[in-house]
Amino acid sequence: MSVPDYMQCAEDHQTLLVVVQPVGIVSEENFFRIYKRISSVSQISVRDSQRVLYIRYRHHYPPDNNEWGDFQTHRKVVGLITITDCLAAQDWPQTFEKFHVQKEIYGSTLYDSRLFVFGLRGEVAEQPRTDVAFYPDYEDCGTVEKRVEDFIESLFIVLESKRLDRATDKSGDKIPLLCVPFEKKDFVGLDTDSSMLLGVKRHYKKRCQGRMRKHVGDLCLQAGMLHDSLVHYHMSVELLRSVNDFLWLGAALEGLCSASVISHYPGGTGGKTGGRRLQGGPLPAEAANRHRPGAQEVLIDPGALTTNGINADTSAEIGRAKNCLSPEDIIDKYKEAISYYSKYKNAGVIELEACVKAVRVLAIQKRSMEASEFLQNAVYINLRQLSEEEKIQRYSILSELYELIGFRRKSAFFKRVAAMQCVAPSIAEPGWRACYKLLLETLPGYSLSLDPKDFSKGTHRGWAAVQLRLLHELVYASRRMGNPALSVRHLSFLLQTMLDFLSDQEKKDVTQSLENYTSKCPGTMEPLTLPDGLTLPPVPFTKLPIVSCSVRMSSEARGAGAVLADRGFSVSRLDFQWVQGDVCEVQLMVYNPMPFELRVENMGLLTSGVDFESLPAALSLPAESGLYPVTLVGVPQTTGTITISGYHTTVFGVCSDCLLDSLPGVKTSGSTVEVIPALPRLQISTSLPRSAHSLQPACGGDETSTNVTVQLYNGETQRLAIKLENIGMQPLETLEVTSKVLTTKDGISISGFPLSSPFRQVVRPRADSKPVHAPESSKTGDFSHVKTLEAILNFKYSGGPGHVEGYYRSISLGLHVEVEPSVFLTRVSTLPATSTRQCHLLLDVFNSTEHELTVSARHNGELILHASECQRMAIQVDKFNFESLPESPGEKGQFANPRQLEEERQEARGLEINSKLDIRWTILSLKRHGEASVEGLRSQLVLEHLQLAPLQWDVLVDGQPCDREAATACSVGDPVRLEVRLTNRSPHSVGPFALTVVPYQDHQNGVHNYNLCDLVSFVGSSTFHLEAVQPSGQSACLGALLFLYSGDFFLHIRFHEDSASKELPPSWFCLPSVHLSALEARA
Amino acid sequence: MAVCIAVIAKENYPLYIRSIPTENELKFHYMVHTSLDVVDEKISALGKALVDQRELYLGLLYPTEDHKVYGYVTNSKVKFVMVVDSSNTALRDNEIRSMFRKLHNSYTDVMCNPFYNPGDRIHSRAFDSTVTSMMTQVC
Repeated sequence: MSVPDYMQCAEDHQTLLVVVQPVGIVSEENFFRIYKRISSVSQISVRDSQRVLYIRYRHHYPPDNNEWGDFQTHRKVVGLITITDCLAAQDWPQTFEKFHVQKEIYGSTLYDSRLFVFGLRGEVAEQPRTDVAFYPDYEDCGTVEKRVEDFIESLFIVLESKRLDRATDKSGDKIPLLCVPFEKKDFVGLDTDSSMLLGVKRHYKKRCQGRMRKHVGDLCLQAGMLHDSLVHYHMSVELLRSVNDFLWLGAALEGLCSASVISHYPGGTGGKTGGRRLQGGPLPAEAANRHRPGAQEVLIDPGALTTNGINADTSAEIGRAKNCLSPEDIIDKYKEAISYYSKYKNAGVIELEACVKAVRVLAIQKRSMEASEFLQNAVYINLRQLSEEEKIQRYSILSELYELIGFRRKSAFFKRVAAMQCVAPSIAEPGWRACYKLLLETLPGYSLSLDPKDFSKGTHRGWAAVQLRLLHELVYASRRMGNPALSVRHLSFLLQTMLDFLSDQEKKDVTQSLENYTSKCPGTMEPLTLPDGLTLPPVPFTKLPIVSCSVRMSSEARGAGAVLADRGFSVSRLDFQWVQGDVCEVQLMVYNPMPFELRVENMGLLTSGVDFESLPAALSLPAESGLYPVTLVGVPQTTGTITISGYHTTVFGVCSDCLLDSLPGVKTSGSTVEVIPALPRLQISTSLPRSAHSLQPACGGDETSTNVTVQLYNGETQRLAIKLENIGMQPLETLEVTSKVLTTKDGISISGFPLSSPFRQVVRPRADSKPVHAPESSKTGDFSHVKTLEAILNFKYSGGPGHVEGYYRSISLGLHVEVEPSVFLTRVSTLPATSTRQCHLLLDVFNSTEHELTVSARHNGELILHASECQRMAIQVDKFNFESLPESPGEKGQFANPRQLEEERQEARGLEINSKLDIRWTILSLKRHGEASVEGLRSQLVLEHLQLAPLQWDVLVDGQPCDREAATACSVGDPVRLEVRLTNRSPHSVGPFALTVVPYQDHQNGVHNYNLCDLVSFVGSSTFHLEAVQPSGQSACLGALLFLYSGDFFLHIRFHEDSASKELPPSWFCLPSVHLSALEARA
Repeated sequence: MAVCIAVIAKENYPLYIRSIPTENELKFHYMVHTSLDVVDEKISALGKALVDQRELYLGLLYPTEDHKVYGYVTNSKVKFVMVVDSSNTALRDNEIRSMFRKLHNSYTDVMCNPFYNPGDRIHSRAFDSTVTSMMTQVC
């Protein structure tokens, strides 16, 4: 016997073996249709008893296995059913002949046989025969099952008669020695009657008895008499043990085990056939009854049975439970049996099958460790040289059995060996499909799934070396199968999930072969479905390149104002908008984990919600690159909410759709951005060159699109023309300009900034450009170092459909001014001038530049200052009437705070003074010029001197106002009219005042002569009275003088002490001195 | 003299595996991997015993034609698997036991390293040299 049946289980010992075979030409389909129907009759309840017969059908059975039928009767073919096609009556005899030939093959062991004839009609088919059944065709054969049942009953009758025959053999009769095929030659010629010694004879007799009892046990078991069989087996064991007939002792022990297993596990151990007992009506209950503890504890004493006769009454209800082995004993006995089998090289198949049976029992008992020992033993049982197919079968079964006992790794190991066996080099036609299928089945054993999602959580932990090997084998097998798409998918999976475990050289090799495959069959994102229903999900290359968590999104900002923001993907809804029709971008930080340059092609965004025209990028990342920014761009074509769910790439010819939620480095599942209707787009350019210098980053998050840097001397003026060009497709309808000076700690400022007023203006796209002047100059109070100041001009604009929806864009221009010191007015003082309406301003001017410069003021000459030189400069200026300054328009009442109001006024005064003085400097060598300001030096004292008093006194001589150096001429002898006029500009009423006019002569030597009564006389009083004057009122008093002699006279007009109000400042009572020149009248 | 020594995490993935360079490394990977079935089975059987009475040494896991595979499990379910040449009859159970103890001590030292993350692959020179000594030393 050489062909093991790996599917054997303990229950098979109780079955009758029936072979079903075709005779002549029967199509496989028809044969198996009938075979299936026949096999459905697998158990039969015997009439008038509770016994059940079990049938095992085989359509193929090696006759040399049949020869072991005496050893274990379930190996004996007892029934034969042949199926044949016979269409014509004249063929019938021939067909029938064939049936007989077929019978001959198993002839020695057959109890009975049947022939099922299909297709024959007519006379021949009419004749009733027990051994032949006629059916018109394969459809019309309803009685097949019935015929099979009848057939089995006939088998039973033979079986029962044989059983009874053997069981009632008297001890006196000669018991034949049962043999296995290889034993036969040992006993040839043995004279069992006479020539043997007595001891040998007794020994031989026991052997015969033992073997026969074992045989009867087998028959009982097959005939459904489980407990009889147990008794017979027990006795057989005793007998055979005493004569060391090991092979048959093993068989008896195994029989004992089989019967016990059948008793203990009514569900069956064989997996496929499991549960078949449950079909049998009352049997399960009975079976459960049988091994219920405490039931029927009476022990049959094997010694009580006569050794040479078999008690026919063993079917009585005695000794059931005790004769049955306990679950532990079953295993022990199996072990023992196998150890006996192993003594015989020729019983290899028996040993192997016993191992398999024991493993199945242990699997039911959940004793995996012992089962594995049995399997380990089975692995080492060397049968003859196995064919490749048998090897595959053997490894597959081992794998299945390991699976059965929960050793999934071992199972996977053997399955893989089986798979490799399918394509062994010795096989002429390698079965790559079978190999691939088996390999797929090993995946769970190696904790591998083919879904990349299972590997996206953290680092992969597993048996990388063996997993890699398996994946390589899958790739190779699928390629040899002629399914390149499958190879690409497996190889992609390998690269994606095992990247961390590949050496640099392996990475190169794998990508090289992947590129080779994809050149013929590009990798897709479609799930691949295998013929057996398994679906291979797509493998996106999320690690080639690896995208880090920092993802940046914006509208295209370069050169044009944009609605934009800089946020990570952690904010799921971004607080900025994209504009329809504009190029929008998403920036990803990627890096290349490969040791070579990685070419990523067709990289673009995956979006939904809005029509989005993606503009794919191709990039080449250097080997082991660091973080590398990649900008993916696209144009939204419609408005709405766009969801960015990921990106797509093509790497090594494999297309990947990488969703952000499957990226380990990125936290959210995508971002949504609002796409708003189209807007115009402005481009900004300036007359000054752009600078790379960007403004201090801390300034409020405003991003400036353009920056201008300019270097100026303090007080210098720079004109800056800003050109705005609409480069978008929409008309610009509104434009709003605002500015913002960034606070600098130096306290410097730009004058002429902010722009005078916000304005709106419509600009047609590309029609014209609008220059905006932003004159500026800056002043500092310190004169040591360079100061910088920064400002932002903001242009807010809108137009087109976006304007209708209320959206606008802003663009900003950053100004960065570096201010170098020029001239400083280190000290300012005043001197009164001759006229009360004027005064002298003394300025100490310091040149802090390194160049020679000239300083000029209005009406004055130029002053040349060398580098770091200081000079005093005197300027005669008219006094200022600050009250007359116009209030800043529209700002009245806005500043409720009086202090602000005061500052405002101060500033206005400063400007007034500056403009009056108009001090300018020029650096000739650099051709630079600017103005200097006294603004910073406006002390109260100086201001008071510069300010016109609110009480304005005018003295008129003969109606001529005199307030100057030049003398007013008058003639001697004529009365000279003198008028003192007071204009009150103060907010209060003043006066009354009393004034005295005192004439004097100045001798130009410091002596003033007041004793002039002889020379001058007053017409009327020399004292004038002025009435009280209301605010903005005027008052005047008149008098007259008479000069008696010619000469130069001065008039000093003095207030009476009591009349001058003490609360008013003395400078308010500053009257001009009057210079008169009296001349002889010409006759 | 061991021909392969492996440390397996609680979750049954390798933390460390080294074999003698003269033989195919993958073979030992398969051998150790399949031995885990037996280890699992033995542990689940041990699980019923009291923890403090538990024997860490699992004994022979299974023999192959050329090798014997031994197992050892720590209380934290980290497994040590050692493959020895079956021709080496000098190696008795006691020697195997003491080798495992030595390995366990060295592993404990690895775990004491504050820079080692439990669950990561073991890259320790000290552990390496312990393993090397066990793979070369003739008992």
